[in-house]
Amino acid sequence: MTRAAIALIALVAVAGLARADDADRAFRDAAARATAGDPGAVDAFEALGAARPVTAWTDDAWSEAARLAERAGQLDRARRDLEQVIALGTDPQLVRRARGALARLAANTGAGAWDAVAAEHERLVAQLAAGDPEPVLEQLEALVRANPRYPRANLVRLAIASGWERDDNRGRALAWYEEAAALEPGRHAWLEWLRALVRAGQLARAEHEIARLEHAPETDRASLAEVRRALDRAVLRAWIRRGLWGVLAVLAVLAAFVLRRDAGSWRSAARRLARPPLEVLFLVPIAAVLVAVAHTGNPLVAAAVRTIAIAGVLVAWISGAMLDAVAAPRARRVLLQAGLAVIAVVAATYLAVDHDRMIELVLETWHEGPATR
Amino acid sequence: MRAAVLLFVIAACGASDQPPEFTDTGGTLAIEGCGYSITTRLGAEPPRVASDLAGSDPTPRLVHLGLVGDPRTSIVAQWRTVDEVTRSSEIRYAVGEGLSASELDQTATGIEFGYQSTGADIFRMHQAHLCNLTAGTTYSYMVGSPGHFSPVYTFHTAPDVVAHPDAEIVLGFVGDSRGGFDVWEQLVTQLVQRAPDVMLFSGDAVTIGITQPEWDEFLGRGEALFTSVPVVLTNGNHENNAVNYYAQFAMPGDQENFGFDYGFAHLTVANDTPEDPAALTGANADALRADFEASKAARWKLLMHHQPMWSAGTRHGSNLTLRDSWGPIVDAYHLDLVLNGHEHHYEVSKPLSNGAVQTATDNATVYVVAGGAGADLYDNGVGFWTQYSEKTHSAATIRVRRDSLVLESFHPDGTPIATGFSKTKL
Repeated sequence: MTRAAIALIALVAVAGLARADDADRAFRDAAARATAGDPGAVDAFEALGAARPVTAWTDDAWSEAARLAERAGQLDRARRDLEQVIALGTDPQLVRRARGALARLAANTGAGAWDAVAAEHERLVAQLAAGDPEPVLEQLEALVRANPRYPRANLVRLAIASGWERDDNRGRALAWYEEAAALEPGRHAWLEWLRALVRAGQLARAEHEIARLEHAPETDRASLAEVRRALDRAVLRAWIRRGLWGVLAVLAVLAAFVLRRDAGSWRSAARRLARPPLEVLFLVPIAAVLVAVAHTGNPLVAAAVRTIAIAGVLVAWISGAMLDAVAAPRARRVLLQAGLAVIAVVAATYLAVDHDRMIELVLETWHEGPATR
Repeated sequence: MRAAVLLFVIAACGASDQPPEFTDTGGTLAIEGCGYSITTRLGAEPPRVASDLAGSDPTPRLVHLGLVGDPRTSIVAQWRTVDEVTRSSEIRYAVGEGLSASELDQTATGIEFGYQSTGADIFRMHQAHLCNLTAGTTYSYMVGSPGHFSPVYTFHTAPDVVAHPDAEIVLGFVGDSRGGFDVWEQLVTQLVQRAPDVMLFSGDAVTIGITQPEWDEFLGRGEALFTSVPVVLTNGNHENNAVNYYAQFAMPGDQENFGFDYGFAHLTVANDTPEDPAALTGANADALRADFEASKAARWKLLMHHQPMWSAGTRHGSNLTLRDSWGPIVDAYHLDLVLNGHEHHYEVSKPLSNGAVQTATDNATVYVVAGGAGADLYDNGVGFWTQYSEKTHSAATIRVRRDSLVLESFHPDGTPIATGFSKTKL
């Protein structure tokens, strides 16, 4: 090899390294622009991808450009950039990801036929968690009504349903869940509808739907078994709740009747109730401290403690007023009344804990031990 | 003479390859050629090199990959068989993608051990440890035993970032699938399309860790992902250190507190629900500090554990014990990202350091809660640290390059969640 040839090879190698360094720097600059939210970053990456000769950074540049273009809703541009990754890629993982992204885009947009709808769908879903969801949900409703054949139309229905449920519009949510479920019997959308029915307390409806499709071949049995367990728990708890409300109602009527009898008239009974008994004066500051301490921790626990404290004070108040109405209460009467007061407090405690599914937290603590906080 | 023949036959039967009886003492086995050992726990047998014994149906199932050694040069394939009796265990593999079974020209013998949790059933794990692989390379493989192999799958080794400074790695991230396996399956489909290099699972895959059918559901629905992407998990309060959890997932070190490099990232995994609660602020905090110290030169530093130090979720909220004990260590070593589950919602924090929100991400840590892989959702909340929170099922990808880290999250239907996190280091 002549000296000239060696020098030429060395020159080419040095030039190649210099180009790689330049590409490295250009990639780094474009990445910094992307992190800063600069919309021009995608152009910078595409320019680097298109620059020749090809360097190690070429496929990476196209890959980043595609990701940013997709994020911006420019799906056709993303598709073109991904094809560049596949054509020029030297990193097999990068190429695999590009193929996966193309497959995902094809599935979501029907090979490009629904690009505009897909971009609008994703834009609206991204807005759902920010600000007032109602107008966004209505736009999503319009979108799915106008494009019922959009490949992800049923997923839009589910997004609408969960959006309305989060917005406490249960009726509208269930209607959308049901519409989505009808198109996927036994599968995910149907299971989501069942879960929503259980959450909404429409247990008979959920039971009926499960019975209808329990043995259908298309039914996802493992997931249905989970829903079934949740339904059984909800049914049991509903019975317990109804029973305890009944107990509280009976005790309230009994207390009113006994107080009226011992006080001599309704007016006198009301007067006795208006004056807090001695035990309430002791209990209220303790309850207030408990509630205040609870509010520094878990909000679910705080709400339950507040309800239990209020119920405890009410029971003590009524019970105290009843005892005050009797000149010399017998020990048997005092014991019986204390026992009934305990039953009332226990019932109120269960109802407070059952509210907002806090009972799940209690059961988890029972099974797994107290969580460190 | 007939008596002698009979004696010979009896003696021959006695000397045959009868498997040893199940013992649940656990044990350790050095893996030849890999430079590490595998240790099983109480409730599992000591691991053994596979024998030739085949059961009535040795068909492999629930194939999934794991990491124990250097991910550039090693990987672990794990599976069970239909009969749970077969002890024959083998992997066939070759460099290349989409190869046919006949093209897999390299073979390695696996190891196996049984484990038992509830009831009398014994579940038998098979592991094949491949070491001395080539970095940044795609391999095809199948597992099983002669005549009963799985389909051919592929895996990919971690890149050598010195040779390839342009390398990008993608970490999949999610947690809390328990009880919602149809949602988990949807997320798996989305994750497969994003082709992560490693799957990070932040705990609570199942409701009760010792219940094997739940694990089978989790692995079965994740098969499309786990056959080609190694999974790294952390123990959640629902796994609760069950023998099933440690038996099914080969991971580095003691499987509880460990760290490893993958591309430009260093990932530390910590157990925040140890069997001995005192370890939380003692041994586990020390292990955390030791791993951070050993990896302090890493370009990007991530920590995964189950219970969040920072969460505005209404169910559990922030774990203040962890925040007091682990928070200062995280701050001292300037971690970039902390990944959690436990709260069934999605939340990204603002950059935090020493308990205060920072204006810049430099030397500050962002905490991500993505506990929405299928479990019933909890109400989200907003704390002073909250950048974004949403009551939703979700998963995320973390793309790590030399100079940038990008967290992107998505719903089970694939629609992106508006707020992720990105950071550059120039």
